[in-house]
Amino acid sequence: MTVAPTEARPGTAALRAAVRPRRPRKGGPVRPSPLIIGFVLVPLLVEAVSVFWPAIQGFYISLTHWNGVNPPTFAGFDNYRRMFGDPVFHKALENTALWLVLFGGLSAAGGLGCAMFLQRERRGIAIYRAAMFLPVVFSLTATALMWQTLYQPNGMVNGLLSGIGLGGWQHAWLANSSTALYAQIVPALWREIGYVMVLYLAGLKGIDPALYEAAKVDGASAWQQFRHVTLPQLRSVNAVVVSVIIIDSLRSFDVVWSLTQGGPYNSSQLLSTYMYQTAFVNTDFGYGCALAVAIFVLAFGVIVSYLIRAFKESD
Amino acid sequence: MAATVPQSPAAARARAVARRPLGKRLRTIGFHTGASALSLLWFLPIALILVISFRSTDDVLGNGLNALPHSFAPGNYSSAWSGGGMQQALINSAIVSIPAVALTLLLASMAAYALSRYRIPLRRTLILVMLGGNLLPPQILLVPVAKLSQVLGLYDSLPVLIAVEVGFGLGFYVFVLQGFMRTIPDEIQQAALLDGAGAFQIYWRIILPLTRPALAALCALSFTWVFNDLLWPITVLVTQSKMPVTPALLGLQGQYVSYWNVIAAGSVIAAIPTVAVFLRFQRHFIAGLNLGAVK
Amino acid sequence: MSTYNVSRRGLLAGARAIGAAAALSGCATATTAGGSTQQGGAVTLQSDLSSPLAEKAMQSLVAAYSKQSKYSVKLNTVAATTYQPLLPTYLTSANPPDIYTWYAGNDADHYASRGLLLDVSDTWKTMGNYQSALKTLSTDAAGKQIFVPTDYYWWGVFYRKSQFAKWGLSEPKTWSDFLNVCATIKAKGATPIGLGAGTGTAWVAAAWFDYLNIRLNGADFHRALLQGQQSFTDSKVVDVFNTWKQALPYFDPNGTAVSWQEASNQLIQGQCGMLLTGTFFADAVPSGSLDDLDFFKFPVIDPSVPDAEEAPTDGLFASSKTHNAAAVLDFMTWMATPAAQNLWTQTSSGTVIPANPQATAPSTALVQKGKAMLADAAQLTQFFNRDSTDALQNTANTALIDFIQNPGRLSSILTTWQSQAEQVWKTA
Repeated sequence: MTVAPTEARPGTAALRAAVRPRRPRKGGPVRPSPLIIGFVLVPLLVEAVSVFWPAIQGFYISLTHWNGVNPPTFAGFDNYRRMFGDPVFHKALENTALWLVLFGGLSAAGGLGCAMFLQRERRGIAIYRAAMFLPVVFSLTATALMWQTLYQPNGMVNGLLSGIGLGGWQHAWLANSSTALYAQIVPALWREIGYVMVLYLAGLKGIDPALYEAAKVDGASAWQQFRHVTLPQLRSVNAVVVSVIIIDSLRSFDVVWSLTQGGPYNSSQLLSTYMYQTAFVNTDFGYGCALAVAIFVLAFGVIVSYLIRAFKESD
Repeated sequence: MAATVPQSPAAARARAVARRPLGKRLRTIGFHTGASALSLLWFLPIALILVISFRSTDDVLGNGLNALPHSFAPGNYSSAWSGGGMQQALINSAIVSIPAVALTLLLASMAAYALSRYRIPLRRTLILVMLGGNLLPPQILLVPVAKLSQVLGLYDSLPVLIAVEVGFGLGFYVFVLQGFMRTIPDEIQQAALLDGAGAFQIYWRIILPLTRPALAALCALSFTWVFNDLLWPITVLVTQSKMPVTPALLGLQGQYVSYWNVIAAGSVIAAIPTVAVFLRFQRHFIAGLNLGAVK
Repeated sequence: MSTYNVSRRGLLAGARAIGAAAALSGCATATTAGGSTQQGGAVTLQSDLSSPLAEKAMQSLVAAYSKQSKYSVKLNTVAATTYQPLLPTYLTSANPPDIYTWYAGNDADHYASRGLLLDVSDTWKTMGNYQSALKTLSTDAAGKQIFVPTDYYWWGVFYRKSQFAKWGLSEPKTWSDFLNVCATIKAKGATPIGLGAGTGTAWVAAAWFDYLNIRLNGADFHRALLQGQQSFTDSKVVDVFNTWKQALPYFDPNGTAVSWQEASNQLIQGQCGMLLTGTFFADAVPSGSLDDLDFFKFPVIDPSVPDAEEAPTDGLFASSKTHNAAAVLDFMTWMATPAAQNLWTQTSSGTVIPANPQATAPSTALVQKGKAMLADAAQLTQFFNRDSTDALQNTANTALIDFIQNPGRLSSILTTWQSQAEQVWKTA
């Protein structure tokens, strides 16, 4: 759909525009019409009503004491003061940071690795990809059942360990305060890697094969191709994937809640599970919403700082 | 050297395989071994669920979940289907997921198109704001959304669940799609403008097809997400017969005692639609457009 | 080609309009009132009895009621695990379900004090033959009845008759007898005491705390402690744990790693000798094995302390905002009759005791024994979370699991527990 440059007539600005070099300019070249404004405002409105307005109410509740039944009483920053002195909050914060790094890092690396491994269209590739994606499609009840059973003292994990001669490594994985958190990262990764793989597959598909050809012609090895062609081309996809992973890490709730509810004795508590427990088990909605605000601030800070850098780079 | 004798495709393929150098064949075998091992490892927990789903209740209660099966009870599947309400739950999940996914992707692609291809003021702030909606832990929104739906008189209805699912997923999908749309070169859009296309036509006929891999990926992901969702349905729905699959599965658990074999069968039933959707859409990841055609 | 250019100001103005429109919708914290009127004579029964057997029982119950009444009841079963956090939302919604299954105790009192529960004193007028203990349980602070009990069950130390016979043991009556029995079982190579306080069922550990507290310090102190009137750092509580330490060596070393259902499984398979559990345990027993099971009451530690037993009571309460109070009361009255109670116990697992003394309790030996044990008790308690709150139960789970795994850290565990409990009572 391009105009052949050889047909340039003197003074035809449009043609010259079409010939301009490829680098996409900041913000695109066209001024928006009312239709375009509508394209933005309608989704924004939908999100405002279903997310922003309840979120604002959530922020308001964090400034009150409320148990869900009595009317709320205004409390100012009481809940936040309480947060700073709460040892369980500190443990949850620490665990969440650990989770972010371990779960986040491993799912990014694992997802990219699987995507690269399974990207070429071969016979049977659909089966392998489906196998990796299967954990994502099973509901939470099933995942909890699977992993609770696997991690039991007489379950498959311990059985496998003793089978390969590592009997000394057996633990009561979910009941031991030193292993509980790490043990739960495994099912979370098991689910997340397939999900991340799908995103990277879509991204890898968008890389122009001519770039690889050019690199091969220049004599680049597989690793050099990866570093100098794949990674740079994946930059915008990376921004997305990293955001996804950060969001999922900070909201990682399902797996931990269904397996240990943050136990034993708060040793595997994450900010999200602590928030849910506070709001819905202890019916302490004020403090629960304050914790939610803390999660939001953390997530926002991490993602925005990453994205601002990513946006700057891409211009 | 061109072959002078016409060959059947099978024979041609066989010859091609035979002609393939040993190293390449080893690499292929190596790939399949590695991929199979990985897939099997990933599949192991699911295999466990399948095994449990075929055991009888007495077997599970009497021998525990970790024992080898002592029985074979495919009747669990029919128990889960009718008695456990999985049939109705699957229908509910479909009623909610299909419109939700379609609406979400439509709205998200509209916003992404506008925000990535046009110079709109505060563009980047808007993207971040929309993404910000997804940074909130959904739990903080549960009670306010429940109250809001009651006030609007829509409580306990499937349309309100659809609306909530759409609203909650939007920010993220806008963010993802604008990331993909930004990589589409300007030339294509400019050429279309030259041909007299309006903004909507550019969106519908050019940009959307070019984002097909991303749209297909997001379709599969968001369908799975909405289909299996737990928190929103239990917040805005009350009547059991309206519940989608995951709350319905949770409902199979008793106060103290649960029949895990029936629940396992129910989980397998619940997983089938999402697997089917994934398999259907993963072909589109393949149809990655060769943007080299632009040159 | 359009030259329309949206100014920044215009965009912000638009955004402000969106915000204003959204602000017109309701506030999350308001208790909404009004709503559409109910149809005719149908009322909703919200039930958390989601296990397959119990759900079938409720369906047949509702069918039997509708057959003999001009009103009809629509049953709505909610997953048991999600029911409790949703109760406040249900009760404070604009069009709440009319009747709820739940239990007596702090929760019901709490909702009643907010005026969310219907006064069912009229129904109680027909229930004159009920035990006074049940009536007290169902009365709120203002003296009105707000709860109608349907059944209750008991807790005991369950064991397999054949195993005990094999080991040559008989039911221990005192604490020292009990410890001897444990030692014997351990010598025979089985785990003496099963626990099952693992994933999701950490609350079963509270049963041990409850019983040790009741046996050592009496039901009054126990209830006061659970209501925040005593401290967890009190020397009486320390006594409880020191006594518990005597039995800890006989507990399943994986007790905090397996779920309660797996622990009951271990009892059935003979891997553990005894399990302190409630009779809901019978639902987890494969058919045919129930005959081999028997129980004894928790051993007496201090003979001078009057015996109390745990007898959790389940029943119904109704929303005060119901549009059809006549139908609700009619249903509750019917549920209290011997006929309905018989139906309920016959179709469920059969190890509960109907609340109406005139109803025919299942005649199995197990149930008769349980009924006799409860009748002999001086006082009846409900269970940790029912006598206090779920929030306090949460703190108990943390403290008790920690204690079972690290008994040496007792004093710091109790100090933490007390500070967490104080936080709970502050927000309650």
